Amino acid sequence: MIRRALPCWMAIMLALASGAALAEDLVTSLSSDKVSIKSNFTGTEIVIFGQVTRDNNTISRRGNYDIAIIVEGPTQDITTRRKGRFLGVWVNRYYERFLGVPSFYAAASTSNINELAHRNLLDEYEIGLNHLNLAVSGKSDVPLSDRDDFRQAFLRLRTQQGLYSERAEAIHFLTDTMFRTNVPLPANIPVGAYKIKSYLFQDGVMLSETEEELSVAKTGFEQFTFEMSRSYSLVYGLIAVVLAILTGWLAGVIFKKD
Amino acid sequence: MQLYLPIAEIPVNIFLILGMGGAVGFLSGLFGIGGGFLLTPLLIFSGIPPAVSVATVTTQVVASSASAVVTYLRRKAIDLKLASYLLAGGVAGSLAGVILFDILQSLGQLDVVISLSYVTFLGTVGTLMLVESIKAIRRRKSGVVVSAKRPGQHNWIHGLPFKVRFRRSKLYVSVIPVLGLGAAIGFLGTVLGIGGGFMMVPALIYLLRVPTGIVIGTSLFQILFTMAAATIFHAVSTQTVDIVLALTLMVGGVIGAQLGARMGQKLRGDQLRLLLGLLVLSVGMRFAIDLLLTPSDFYSIAITKGAGA
Repeated sequence: MIRRALPCWMAIMLALASGAALAEDLVTSLSSDKVSIKSNFTGTEIVIFGQVTRDNNTISRRGNYDIAIIVEGPTQDITTRRKGRFLGVWVNRYYERFLGVPSFYAAASTSNINELAHRNLLDEYEIGLNHLNLAVSGKSDVPLSDRDDFRQAFLRLRTQQGLYSERAEAIHFLTDTMFRTNVPLPANIPVGAYKIKSYLFQDGVMLSETEEELSVAKTGFEQFTFEMSRSYSLVYGLIAVVLAILTGWLAGVIFKKD
Repeated sequence: MQLYLPIAEIPVNIFLILGMGGAVGFLSGLFGIGGGFLLTPLLIFSGIPPAVSVATVTTQVVASSASAVVTYLRRKAIDLKLASYLLAGGVAGSLAGVILFDILQSLGQLDVVISLSYVTFLGTVGTLMLVESIKAIRRRKSGVVVSAKRPGQHNWIHGLPFKVRFRRSKLYVSVIPVLGLGAAIGFLGTVLGIGGGFMMVPALIYLLRVPTGIVIGTSLFQILFTMAAATIFHAVSTQTVDIVLALTLMVGGVIGAQLGARMGQKLRGDQLRLLLGLLVLSVGMRFAIDLLLTPSDFYSIAITKGAGA
């Protein structure tokens, strides 16, 4: 946290020296920078603490800071399909492929996301579900007029899965400048490197931003099993078969009596 | 108690999975079937990704058939030569099945093909069983004694070339239908996550005229190895075999199977076939309804690249 804060401070000093009005800065810290998935994993939550720091030249302005915190998982390509009737049965007929979208996205903010800043700014930083940049693949058959339906369906389904969320008024100020929030991580979170981006707004202007990293990883047996299924898939398959035959044989022997 | 599945990447209730394995195991012991056609849909309905369900059930079928094969080997009720010919076809069919599985998965049509196949096969086999068992029950009630089908009867299959002698089954038939049957069931088994015993047993009896005493053991023996091959192909190709899920299902399954087998000895054969026919038919109907009714959600999403793909 301190290592991250130092370059920021230097930037602020430089900014001040050059006469810019940038006076507030943001520092955040996570309750843990690693989420371990073990066999009893049923989801967890991380706590994010933060503080708005001000230099001495800035007059204390009370109560009108806005914070938005985005927790973002590693990217995925996701195909959204729509069913249609074909020869009387319902089959997947149309699809839209969203490229490089976050596998997990949780937005928390002090007030309604739309009230934080102008939508152009929210779009630029991808703050809020409606401001996510969902790039589609070029070879899509979906007519332009239906594109938004796919986009909405995608966001809705991801939200249903608990992988996308947007929570207004989920960040609480403990003092004038200190705040905290809890971000629940559901049991089905994808593994990988997560980014936690925090943004400080005041009167629709972004004053500062900072980024932390969080790693979600399987550990121990789960990690070992997964790695093996990917790197030594033949051995993994053979082990599965041997285990199955052993279990079956053992049961056959145990219940031999009849 | 929740248990995190390392390949499916979701937590499941361990007792729910044990219970499902046990219930299906009970039915498989009762009817002498693998039970894959019941277990795969159950897993899919309970939220396990279809690809993981199908691949993992092949592993579970290995365990349940291994348990029964031990018994049949002891009774010498297996034609090993016939089984190895069926197996050769089965491995080829299984390999083709994995290739099709991969293609369908990438096209997004896997679910609909699985559903349609379930409707077709379960519907047909269920209806045939139902009709046959009702006839048998009626005959029994009216007291008419029908002579059993003579194994020596010939049909068009016995006119095919490349004949081989299977001593244990007292058969002299062409290898073409034997290999073909093995391949067809290996193929379906891999794509649908079923052992195919409910199709193999009638085919061996009615098409190849294998003596009834040898049929179940031989069928189970070939299913054991075909499904073992399918597990390995799935592990290498689709990488969706969840060993933790498979083990949990097996433990429930083998216990249920033993209880079912004991229960089965108390029921009449035609009654059992009637119940099994109803069961098979109702699973098929369940899939048909899903295909025909307007879905509650037209959209679905699937990860194509990146974490969890």
